[in-house]
Amino acid sequence: MQINFGGREIALKLVYYGPALSGKTTNLRSLHQLTTEGSRGRLMTLETKDDRTLFFDMLPLALRGPPIERGDRPGQAPGMTLRIKIFTVPGQVLHSSTRKLVLQGADGVAFVADSQISETEHNAASFFDLRQNLKDLSLSLKEMPLVIQFNKRDLDRVRSDEELGALARRGREPVFRASAVNGHGVLETFFGLMHLTWCKLDGEHQLGKMLGIASNELLPMAARQLGITTEVSKLLSSCVGGKLDRTVQVPS
Amino acid sequence: MNAEAPNVRVEDLVLDGRIQLEDLVDRSALDELCKTVVSLFGIPVRVYSNEGGMLADAAIEQELCAYVNRTTGGRRACESTVAAVKARDAGDTGDVVHPCFTGAAYRVIALVYDGRRVGRLIIGPFLPTSVAEAPASLLGIDPAIERERSQALLLKMPRAKQETVTRIAAHLKASLDLILFSGHKAFVTSQMHLLSVRESYRQLEDKTARLQEAFDKLKELDRLKSNFLATVSHELRTPLTSIIGYSEMLTEGLAGELKPEQLDFVKTIHSKGGHLLSLIMSLLDMSKLENGTMRIAMQSMRIEPVLAEVVSTLTPTARKKGIKLQLDQPAGLAGLAELRGDPERLRQVFLNLVENAIKFTPAQGTVTLGGAMIEDSDLDDEAEAGLSLVAPTRAFVQVRVADTGIGIPARERDRVFDAFYQVDSSSTREYGGTGLGLSIVKRLVEGHGGSIRIESNEPRGTVFVVRLPQAGP
Repeated sequence: MQINFGGREIALKLVYYGPALSGKTTNLRSLHQLTTEGSRGRLMTLETKDDRTLFFDMLPLALRGPPIERGDRPGQAPGMTLRIKIFTVPGQVLHSSTRKLVLQGADGVAFVADSQISETEHNAASFFDLRQNLKDLSLSLKEMPLVIQFNKRDLDRVRSDEELGALARRGREPVFRASAVNGHGVLETFFGLMHLTWCKLDGEHQLGKMLGIASNELLPMAARQLGITTEVSKLLSSCVGGKLDRTVQVPS
Repeated sequence: MNAEAPNVRVEDLVLDGRIQLEDLVDRSALDELCKTVVSLFGIPVRVYSNEGGMLADAAIEQELCAYVNRTTGGRRACESTVAAVKARDAGDTGDVVHPCFTGAAYRVIALVYDGRRVGRLIIGPFLPTSVAEAPASLLGIDPAIERERSQALLLKMPRAKQETVTRIAAHLKASLDLILFSGHKAFVTSQMHLLSVRESYRQLEDKTARLQEAFDKLKELDRLKSNFLATVSHELRTPLTSIIGYSEMLTEGLAGELKPEQLDFVKTIHSKGGHLLSLIMSLLDMSKLENGTMRIAMQSMRIEPVLAEVVSTLTPTARKKGIKLQLDQPAGLAGLAELRGDPERLRQVFLNLVENAIKFTPAQGTVTLGGAMIEDSDLDDEAEAGLSLVAPTRAFVQVRVADTGIGIPARERDRVFDAFYQVDSSSTREYGGTGLGLSIVKRLVEGHGGSIRIESNEPRGTVFVVRLPQAGP
């Protein structure tokens, strides 16, 4: 996170992590499609011919806080802007150093796992890789806002919902089911991650006060500015297991 | 947050990375883009960055402006208008109209990238469609301004509806946005490339440092081992000398006459003691060679007497095994040049090689020593390629020790020179030895500035080829 008082900006960095071909870029593409133009920028995809994600994708979002009343002078000053940059990391094993670079300074991580049973090992390997890279960056997985998405629910030979439920209840992290290619579960994952990240950073830095909003207004504000019509509480409630719902304080 | 980072922080690059028009846009290319607008609509276009620098100036001076500028009052008014337009902010809406005293107008439009203002587009002067005649602000600016002339020139100015200008601006903004996005993307890519390479480099450096550490540790261990070897060998040698000495005295009858059987036993003790001593000596040699304390007393010498002595020393051993030991073309050997070397050490070298050859050659076999003069250019080793270019030709004395023994497989040929290495290291192996001999030989030869290599002796057996540099002129 970076706060730039001069530029009236707060910048957050969210990272979509996961094994190669698990659908991280697809998540960003869907998110790009599901949001309206006003608050989101162009999706920047850095890729080469031979490789699906040589470097990374980046989707910038900008949420504007309400104008601030000036005590000394009449009129309103423009509010703070919350800039959110969402990154994907290259999943390919050999891009370890790029992965670590992208992970630098991350405020929250969405782990996009592949639901196919055959991919179980890759999911686990990528997760250990995440943990190691965070450790190398002196970040702790324990303190990192983290949501897990089981993507590709539309495919055959995937773990059943019951299995996922059982797995999710064992873990600490909120789990979302998704089929990113169809746009399912994408907003849910994003808002789940935003929620956790915001709760942590707002608690530590009173970001809400800076933005001029109450702590529980961020997600509805984001939904509004991004043109999302589904209620935020409904998005969040699709999560399985984890500790997300205990902290949910979203006004209806 | 606050990740420790190698130098450049990625979040600086991608989170707070302020995009500056100057960094991303090529001025002359932008100029050309703006000129296409001028050629289409005749309206001047200028692009300013947020930092105030002018990036493109596609303007043609309007005749009216040139006319007005010829008058004192007109020039002053024009200058102040232009300065005001340049300084004009695009306002909250990002799009303002700035009037000119001539009746013409400018549009100042904000350029936005990634939600931030990065510069301004100034379009104009152009004549709004509403203006029909020269206004009083133009006519009164200087007494020299003539109504008719200025009216005619004013109407020659490019006319445009505000909506048209808005569309021109939208087109330019979209083009610029594309340029900025492409530039930004290339910039981020190259930065990531750089960071990624730097990170890989850092990881490699880490690994190298760890390897170096391990290497240093091993080197230290190796040194300790050599020291240990030297100390132990030395300590073993002292009592052994007594054993050999006293057994010798016994055989000489200094302690009284021995019975034939006793004499036999004592002679065995004496000879085995001698064998043990030579083993210990080679261990000592090895450790001296390893820690670099072996003294090689260089002098001008000929190799022929050394070889002849080796042959005569080992002929009894060879004969006992039924092996023919011979000097090849003794006359040719006599023609070998002098070299600089330590005769004692070289004797050790060839004694060792010939002993070895005898050891590994079965009965009825032959061991042959031959010598020849060789020029550098004869080298066939690929590693020596280009030597003719970088080093002057040198002559070598080459000695070949050829046997008809069991031979050494090609893949073993480099390793046999390693200390303690045995081709057959099983405990039931046929041939004994410490595995030190060849290692000592190699180091001694190299200590003479020479080289040793192994060739196979067709149809069977091995040839050790020793090359020693000829003494300098």
